[in-house]
Amino acid sequence: MPFTTPLALLGLLFVPAVLAMYLLKLRRDEAVVPSTLLWTRLVADVEANAPWQRLRRSLLLLLQLLLVAVLALLAARPFLERPAGLARDVVVVLDTSASMGATDVTPTRLGAAKAAVLDALRDLPTGGKVSVVAADRTARIVVNETTDLGRVRQALAAIEPSSSSGNLGDALELAGKLAARSGDAQIVVGTDGALATPPAGAIEAPIRVLAVGRSHRNQAIVALAVRTSPSAVTRSVFISIANLDLDYAQRRIELRGPGGLIEVRDVSLDPQARADVVIDDVPADVGTIEVRLVGSDPAVSAAPDDLATDDTAWAVVPPDQRRLVLLVGEGDPYLETALSYLPNVELYGVTPAEYGPRTERQDGRPWDLVIFEGTLPATLPQTPILAIAPPGSSPLGQVTGTLKDPGIGSLSPDEPILRYVDLSTTHIAEAARLTSPDWARTIIPGPGGAPLLYTGIRAGLPTGVLAFDPRHSDLPLQVAFPVLLANLTGELMGGSAAPSEAVQPGTPVSLPIPPDATGLAVTRPDGSVVELVPQSAESRSATFTGTDQLGIYSVTPHLAADSAPSATASGPSASTAPVSPSAIVPSPGPSGSAAVPSPVPVDPNAPARFAVDLFDVDESTISPGSAATIEALGRPSRASPAPSGTAGGTSAAATQRPTARDELWVPVVLIVLIALCVEWAVYQRDAIIRLRRGLSGRLGRPVDGSA
Amino acid sequence: MDGPLTPHSDPPAAGRPNARERRAFLPSDVDSTVFDEAFLRQLERLLILMRSPVRGGLKGGRRSVKRGQSVEFADYRDYALGDDLRQLDWNVYARLERLFVKLFIEEEDVTVTLLVDASASMTAGRPPKLLFAKRAAAALGYIGLASEDRVTVSALAGRASRRRAAMRGSGRIFRLLSDLSSIEPAEGPTDLLAAARHAAAQLHGKGVVILLSDLLDPSADRVIRELAATGSELIVLHVLSPEELEPQLEGDLRLVDVETGDGVDVTVDLPTLDAYKTRLAAWKAAFADLAAKRRATYVDLPSDANLADLMFNELRRRRVLG
Repeated sequence: MPFTTPLALLGLLFVPAVLAMYLLKLRRDEAVVPSTLLWTRLVADVEANAPWQRLRRSLLLLLQLLLVAVLALLAARPFLERPAGLARDVVVVLDTSASMGATDVTPTRLGAAKAAVLDALRDLPTGGKVSVVAADRTARIVVNETTDLGRVRQALAAIEPSSSSGNLGDALELAGKLAARSGDAQIVVGTDGALATPPAGAIEAPIRVLAVGRSHRNQAIVALAVRTSPSAVTRSVFISIANLDLDYAQRRIELRGPGGLIEVRDVSLDPQARADVVIDDVPADVGTIEVRLVGSDPAVSAAPDDLATDDTAWAVVPPDQRRLVLLVGEGDPYLETALSYLPNVELYGVTPAEYGPRTERQDGRPWDLVIFEGTLPATLPQTPILAIAPPGSSPLGQVTGTLKDPGIGSLSPDEPILRYVDLSTTHIAEAARLTSPDWARTIIPGPGGAPLLYTGIRAGLPTGVLAFDPRHSDLPLQVAFPVLLANLTGELMGGSAAPSEAVQPGTPVSLPIPPDATGLAVTRPDGSVVELVPQSAESRSATFTGTDQLGIYSVTPHLAADSAPSATASGPSASTAPVSPSAIVPSPGPSGSAAVPSPVPVDPNAPARFAVDLFDVDESTISPGSAATIEALGRPSRASPAPSGTAGGTSAAATQRPTARDELWVPVVLIVLIALCVEWAVYQRDAIIRLRRGLSGRLGRPVDGSA
Repeated sequence: MDGPLTPHSDPPAAGRPNARERRAFLPSDVDSTVFDEAFLRQLERLLILMRSPVRGGLKGGRRSVKRGQSVEFADYRDYALGDDLRQLDWNVYARLERLFVKLFIEEEDVTVTLLVDASASMTAGRPPKLLFAKRAAAALGYIGLASEDRVTVSALAGRASRRRAAMRGSGRIFRLLSDLSSIEPAEGPTDLLAAARHAAAQLHGKGVVILLSDLLDPSADRVIRELAATGSELIVLHVLSPEELEPQLEGDLRLVDVETGDGVDVTVDLPTLDAYKTRLAAWKAAFADLAAKRRATYVDLPSDANLADLMFNELRRRRVLG
């Protein structure tokens, strides 16, 4: 039997020490007795029965010698060798996507995968290295090239199932690169194989898949939206349920608000089909809603399906905030029409001659957006501005000339202002030649670097400049016009401080920072708070990446100490009556007064919320996939030293691969414990007999008093 | 063999005189722990029984084998010349016209010899065996005095027996107690057989010999045998301490004999203690068997036995007292 530390066998030198202790004469305590007459005769009797006495002493001696020998053996760490089933370097890829939280195996698929990985690592050859990659939306290295299996075990235990979609392809690619560092490497994947799009691309290492999961019983909420009804009094909730099982399912939908249950619906779901449910008349004062997919029978406590993550979804009811827009111009019917159809917008209009201090609102609330159409005042208002066809140079941009029939340059597909805007058939007759200021971001490039539309934050205020009059183009006749106008005004008015649509878990979210705010505090669904600060003073947004939990996130801006969200500059305006949209007249006010509107709108500083939901049919499809599909991505195993034949490696590497060791400490420790117990029992024999006699005496049974 | 008496740690409190009364009753040279007055009053009602009538010197309270002048009628016999005419039964002569002489059992005294083992081993125990032996001897001696028997005390120590002068009558109780109180344990080893032989040589005629000893001597059986051979009625009160009956020893010990100083190495564990008790029981059984064969009475006693129980219950039950 080989030993890991054979020097520890020197502990056998303690055997003579134990023997010496037995051979040394026993030092006896003296006790004076009236007579040794009876004891002398007794000793003679004992001598006659000496074999048992000697045997008893010998038994203790033998047990102690056995203990010394076994402890020395234990310290020497004996082991048994067997052929290693894994390569010298193993990269473990553990799928932690939402589907791994399925409970069709005990305790979860992730737990079963961890156990399978640890079991597989027992075939690791001596000195083998292990790396662990956790794969959910992104791949991350948890453990890198360690020979310490305890550390691997600890790292695996610390991996929690995520709520996001899985991306096993990236993880396999990363694992492949890690494996490429060694000549004898192997990738072990613990996954349910429930991949909608199998990872593409060859991996330069053999892959062994430890498949977990056996069920496909799952129903999921795959879409949730809240829309305002035409009456603008109540909201409608749209819920889409998918039955990803192969059997018919009966489920119940619970719609909950902050105050409790709002509506319950029973739905019948055909196999592999979706069902849409619309719940109308949701009260307008409900800020957030939660939809739960529960079992159809409340009396049944068992889980209705095997994946609970996608049985709950949240949505934020969009705020019904009216925006105040002032249009200064001679009156462009296209523009006015398009603006008037924007939801939640109150449009006011004045001519350039009427524009002035009198146009300040009497209620003190500043304009959310002032649009100058073909005109610009000498003093720009401290509000968000959209300048259309500026007549001359201004802080908004330098006008250096006129562009005739300018063509539209290459547009960025990721530009949010151009989302759903098709300008491919747009023609512009004339536009101002503008020089883009430093603060500006070009949205629609024109010829020669002259922008046709740009936006940016000028002196802390959102500002946009459209270089051409829409009437000098065919844009107003196209569908793109109202969409572009909606996107543009939405960008300039700031919109909501949070995304209005559900965010996928793990997706970074860009959160706009109100002008006077110094940072944001994001409260996660579990109550933890994440503080966000802008990267620079000019930056008006912050990126939040901690969206790994499902639920409602609340965003609260941190206001500067010297700013107040209320409008402090309403001045002597007396009237607080709202101005009718039809009466596009300037608000009466003292001429020349220093009524400066507050640059801070009320809305952006209010706490905003957004929801993070799974909404991923592919992830909710928990049917176990084919392990062979993933294994086929790896390099075929040319040599298989393992008896099971599931592991691989190059033949040369396999022949040089050390064997795996099974340390035999468990049986040795058992022997030690048993020997200790027997020794204790022998040593305490008298006490045990006394105890037995005492118990028998109390129970009134005769006791065998023979020694 | 009868078992030992039930131990009692304290004598009955009732009837015990206070210290002043004890001082008034007991002489100064008497160990006050040996007796109290109430106990003596109870002892006066007892008598030491003998298996067979004895021939004594003086008329005592016991039946003699001699037919004589007494009050207890025994038998008739034909008148012979020279008989005392006062013994003729004239009533019988009136009815039968024949002369018969009435025979009476003559009550005579006997000698009660108390042999107290005063070897060093008798000092062991709680209470010490010697103290218990003295008290038992005092009780038995007082019974003898009260029965008009002659009582003598001998202490067995060393190789000799120190015999005190005989006494008679309950009025000599103080002397009896003084004699017992003066018994001191031997300093060195005691040869019980030699001392017993010495005592046997000092016996006068037949009587009752009461040996109070722990018998922790290799020749204890010969002591019993030789004392029984003297013709006296032998009563052996075998006194052992509770520590000897239930040794409280454990572990690897060297046991040292208090008399000889010899040592024995022994590992005391439960089986050893069990073997000791077995050995002790066999040892006492051998004494009982030997005593039965020699028409002697053997009573084994723990030194913490209650003396009143011993006198009024155990010894009466064993037909030692009546």
